[in-house]
Amino acid sequence: MRLFTRYYRVNLIITVVVLLFTGIIYYWAISLILTSQKDKDLVVEEQEVFEYVRINHRLPQVFQSKDQQITFTPVHSDVKREFITTDYYNPKEKENENGRGLVSSVQVNGVNYKILVVESSVETDDLVQIIFGITIAVILLLLLVLFIANRLILARIWQPFYGILQQVKNFNLTGKAEIDPQPTNIEEFEELNMAVSSMSARVQHDYNELKAFTENASHELLTPIAIINSKLDTLIQTEGFNERQSVLLNDVYTSVSRLTRLNQSMLLLSRIENQIISGFEPVNLKWLVTEKVAQLQELYADKDIKLNMDLQEKEIQCSRYLMDILLNNLLVNAIKHNKPGGEIIIILTDSRLEIKNTGEDKDLSGNDIFKRFSKSASSEGTGLGLTISAQICDNYGFKLNYSYKNQYHSFTVNF
Amino acid sequence: MKLLVVEDEAGLKDSIRDYFTEAGNVCETVSDYGLAMQKINLYRYDCIILDITLPNGNGLDILRTLKTNRYPDGVLIISAKNSLDDRLQGLDLGADDYLTKPFHLSELRARVMAITRRKSFDGNHIVVFNELQLDMLAKSVSANDTPIKFTKREYDLLLYFIANKGKVVTKNAIAEHLWGDSIDAANNFDFIYSHIKNIRKKLMEAGSKDYIHAAYGMGYKFSDQ
Repeated sequence: MRLFTRYYRVNLIITVVVLLFTGIIYYWAISLILTSQKDKDLVVEEQEVFEYVRINHRLPQVFQSKDQQITFTPVHSDVKREFITTDYYNPKEKENENGRGLVSSVQVNGVNYKILVVESSVETDDLVQIIFGITIAVILLLLLVLFIANRLILARIWQPFYGILQQVKNFNLTGKAEIDPQPTNIEEFEELNMAVSSMSARVQHDYNELKAFTENASHELLTPIAIINSKLDTLIQTEGFNERQSVLLNDVYTSVSRLTRLNQSMLLLSRIENQIISGFEPVNLKWLVTEKVAQLQELYADKDIKLNMDLQEKEIQCSRYLMDILLNNLLVNAIKHNKPGGEIIIILTDSRLEIKNTGEDKDLSGNDIFKRFSKSASSEGTGLGLTISAQICDNYGFKLNYSYKNQYHSFTVNF
Repeated sequence: MKLLVVEDEAGLKDSIRDYFTEAGNVCETVSDYGLAMQKINLYRYDCIILDITLPNGNGLDILRTLKTNRYPDGVLIISAKNSLDDRLQGLDLGADDYLTKPFHLSELRARVMAITRRKSFDGNHIVVFNELQLDMLAKSVSANDTPIKFTKREYDLLLYFIANKGKVVTKNAIAEHLWGDSIDAANNFDFIYSHIKNIRKKLMEAGSKDYIHAAYGMGYKFSDQ
């Protein structure tokens, strides 16, 4: 729910409740005043009857008067004096109306009479109704005014906020765009402007520092690794290793080459992420795939892997160097994670490149396979291959997807 | 063969010198920009192994000086900067090859050999090792003038061995030389063995001696001793 819908709703409920409440109090107070006014009239009438009886010692003559009726009934018991709400028969209109009555008693020549004075309260009701109507009208008018004010004024006041929000939504760490302050003269938004701008600048700065650190660290590691490598190469030229030393040396060699590959992958990834390696040139994919496959021929033949290709002509605009890395990563994975006697299927159409391979009978979709250093426990790879592949695709607006169907692991690049 | 190594990392410099120093080779080393400039202006080398990042200067400037003065020295750049731009810039300036750190010394040697052979004045494209002859242009091999049918990989491997004759070459280095990054696809280097076996068989059938010796399970040594 939007802040201002919520605010509007609360505002509406409070307004309606308060107005209804005042309406009720108003109604109640006015009816009370009007009723007591009526009661005073009735008491005057009663006093007139008492006066008449005191002077004349008989009941006054009953005559029709406008909006007032008086009746005398002989009674034997005591009559309690009270005001009542009753019906009033309007002889003109020939119908019952709401009325207010006073029951009292008078003694004339030793006979008790009950006096009932009734007055029509139609006018009072009308008045109350008018007041109620006005209250409702005020409520409706107020709601209308509030609605228009909210729509026009609030929307305009919040404009800078939505401007900032849009920019925050579009904010991309890898992008270069910074967040521009929105013009506003509202203090809170001014503060928001400053906070968001400085935050984005700081985040961007930290991110760049981090990226630079990754690159520098990988870079600095290269020299010691190069020295270890060259010393190992020199060491094995000295003759006379026994079996045990050879095994140890072999392990060191393997680890150093893993370290080298890991380091190079990290450097490569940070360069691709920073778009230091980029560029566009026409690349004939069919040709490139064929070349790559030929290069890998011994490697998949060694595992007795069957390779099927269905390649159509396809040319894309990208860096040949990066496309080579992408293809290499995908094909190397298809071979490495395959089983002996397995199969690889490569399909190239105008819209996609799909590389399917048999392998471990397990769907990997849920495993964040494109995340850094995510790899199977048995893999001796760097865990960066797919991250690099996905980043290359991302840089060129391609989409790299994984799926597992009918025991085939499939990686698809959608152009 | 006369070499100059321009490299500021003492560890790496010494390893390269040790690896290249043997009968018939002279390998000089310098570790800073000024000394390197002096050397190249005074002496000629068959190949200069040049690091780009040096104290007090940039290796690319040394390369520029070489080219401006039309010195014929072969130049192989070794750099930790594995960026495409650097590589292209180096090659554009006239370097003969570019090798990224870290590298195997055997790879460096194979590259240096390739450069010096290309640069040799007699335009000799035949590499001879005892009874073996490799024709660099036709990429063909013969033993005692009997042609041997080699696949491209086998030819590359044999050439690599000859460039590193008398040295132990690791399976790692061989695999990276022949397959580059694609070698990640292999779970182990056993398949190299089948290539070696084929080369051995073909050479022996053509009447050559067996020069490939296994070394400590780590690699191989190509030697006539």
